[in-house]
Amino acid sequence: MYDSTKARAVLAGAALLVAAVATAQAATVNRTLSVRALNKTMSDGQRVTFWVFGSGGMMGGGTLPGPVVELGVYPEGISTTDTLNLTLNMMMAPQEAAPYNGHTIHLHGADVPTAEDGVPETGAPVNGDTYTFTPTREMAGSYMYHCHVHTVKHLEMGMYGALIVRPKDAAGNWLNQITHEPATAYNYVQNYVFSTVDPAYHSATGDAIVFADYNPRYFLINGNEGRSASAPASSLSAARNSRVALRLIGLHSTNGTFSIKDGAGNAKPFTVYVQDGRAYAAPETKSSLDISPGQRFDIVFTTPSTAGTWYPQIVYKNLRDGAAFANGTVYGRVTF
Amino acid sequence: MKHLVRGAVAWLLICLATSATAATRNYTLYITSGSIAIHGGGGATLAAWGYTDVAGSPKFPGPLLEANEGDTLNVTVVNNHTLPHNFLVKGLTTDTTSILPGGSRTYTFTAAAAGTYLYYDTLNNAVNREMGLYGAVVVGPPDGSNRAWTNGPAYDFHRTWVVGEMDKPRWNDVAGSGGTVNTNVYKPNYFLINGKGGEDGMADSATTIDGGVGQTALVRIVNGGQFSHSLHFHGNHVQVLAVNGVRAAAPYKQVDVINVAPLGTADVLFPLNQPGSYPMHVHTAQMETANGVYLNGVVTMINMR
Ligand SMILES: [Cu+2]
Ligand SMILES: [Cu+2]
Repeated sequence: MYDSTKARAVLAGAALLVAAVATAQAATVNRTLSVRALNKTMSDGQRVTFWVFGSGGMMGGGTLPGPVVELGVYPEGISTTDTLNLTLNMMMAPQEAAPYNGHTIHLHGADVPTAEDGVPETGAPVNGDTYTFTPTREMAGSYMYHCHVHTVKHLEMGMYGALIVRPKDAAGNWLNQITHEPATAYNYVQNYVFSTVDPAYHSATGDAIVFADYNPRYFLINGNEGRSASAPASSLSAARNSRVALRLIGLHSTNGTFSIKDGAGNAKPFTVYVQDGRAYAAPETKSSLDISPGQRFDIVFTTPSTAGTWYPQIVYKNLRDGAAFANGTVYGRVTF
Repeated sequence: MKHLVRGAVAWLLICLATSATAATRNYTLYITSGSIAIHGGGGATLAAWGYTDVAGSPKFPGPLLEANEGDTLNVTVVNNHTLPHNFLVKGLTTDTTSILPGGSRTYTFTAAAAGTYLYYDTLNNAVNREMGLYGAVVVGPPDGSNRAWTNGPAYDFHRTWVVGEMDKPRWNDVAGSGGTVNTNVYKPNYFLINGKGGEDGMADSATTIDGGVGQTALVRIVNGGQFSHSLHFHGNHVQVLAVNGVRAAAPYKQVDVINVAPLGTADVLFPLNQPGSYPMHVHTAQMETANGVYLNGVVTMINMR
């Protein structure tokens, strides 16, 4: 059933290529991801086991979050498109007992056929498959991939990463822009993958009562705790008067409010160009942004003309009243 | 004087504009106790209180109240329960007077603006709402057409999703047996869409988005719960028409996640554009379970032919 769907997709792709009047050569991005266990010692000394994606071979490790996957889209008038083939290699993958054994890759936010959606309950195969995504030009922006088996556990275990759809020029070179709109150009770019960790979820398996009650204890950006401005989760050295793009990717299971503050705590403006992989008709300039689980925002800010340091940061908040969690503020850092 | 004249003219215009279709809609809601059955893994029967429009067991969520813009609604609430209750439509009514057991009260209000509203019981520090006393009011344009509002986006069919959650051991069991809930602690273990969990929500034709490619669905979401719900549409983007009653202007934002705050509402347009079956679920970890058992919680299906 899935093979025939894929065969049709391949045929459609071939027809597109023949019809294309492009100067660019469509790229096929073939990536293989494996699943590995990763033990991390958290700031309070507790060891937490994660399951993470890695792009290494059989003996390679994985990272939290998993490897960044990038895919190009072309300017207007070019009918060529890139195709992502993301293969899940299940060799040596840690996994749960049945019925929650195996893993998938869900291309979160990607408008894909059901068979590429990575959901076992709608028929996607587990225990390894190749997932295909062919974005169109309007889909430039940030996405994420994550496992969709026993999602309550596997997502929390760290089985996620950033999937970026980036514009290319007519010749197929990457553009340092969020979309093909020149106003979205940047000099520097970083991903900010937000996630939260309830260690009880990491040691529970199967159907356990602990999954009914989410109590996050660790709060992360890009897999790091970054609990103070002096020990940020992510840092960047940028030029003055330059444009910095951040790709905000919500893989947390709480609420969160993002802002960028200077050393005195003043919020600095930033402009949102894309939400959930779709450009705004009118970009929005803000001083804070609520990010809920599953959301992505692509933003740009301009560094000032004088030297200094700003701190992009997220305050993780509970789902009931929006109160900040203790230790729930995670800092990034941009010096210029 | 000038103001009066202008006001009178404006009023006349409103009357002229709406007199063709403005109607009076009479609803009676009875408040009584009952229970909610969650099927599937982790399922249980939860003590609940609810509104119903027919004699017998309460409905969860409460009955859908429908009107067109400009209509007058008379909602008579009869309290057949043993505790005081009330009925507030957020954004449309302000009366929070208690209705004592055995009493009733009629709320008269105008369906002011086309859109989606939440009604609920505001009493008892959210315990009454937790027990199931909430529902949706859906207001269409004055001409009753399949548009989100006058000259707004058109749709072929609509769904109303009332989401919420319940903390069985600490709230429902306690309140249902006459105890006093410690409202400082809230750890819900059941997560509901239209009063259902998991496979029930996925199989409920009143909840699923089911249609042919080329059709457009209007989905009205109200959150009667106490948690934010971050609803994720697989494989598809929706257009955000309104959040908390504030209409957006075209072109509408396209998102695959819509976050609806407690007591919040959102209207989204779903263009059915590819054949297939996709889940819609809340993206927070625990909301995909029933008492910790996967797959349950706030989830339904999108089926396109
Ligand atoms: Cu998995
Ligand atoms: Cu997801």
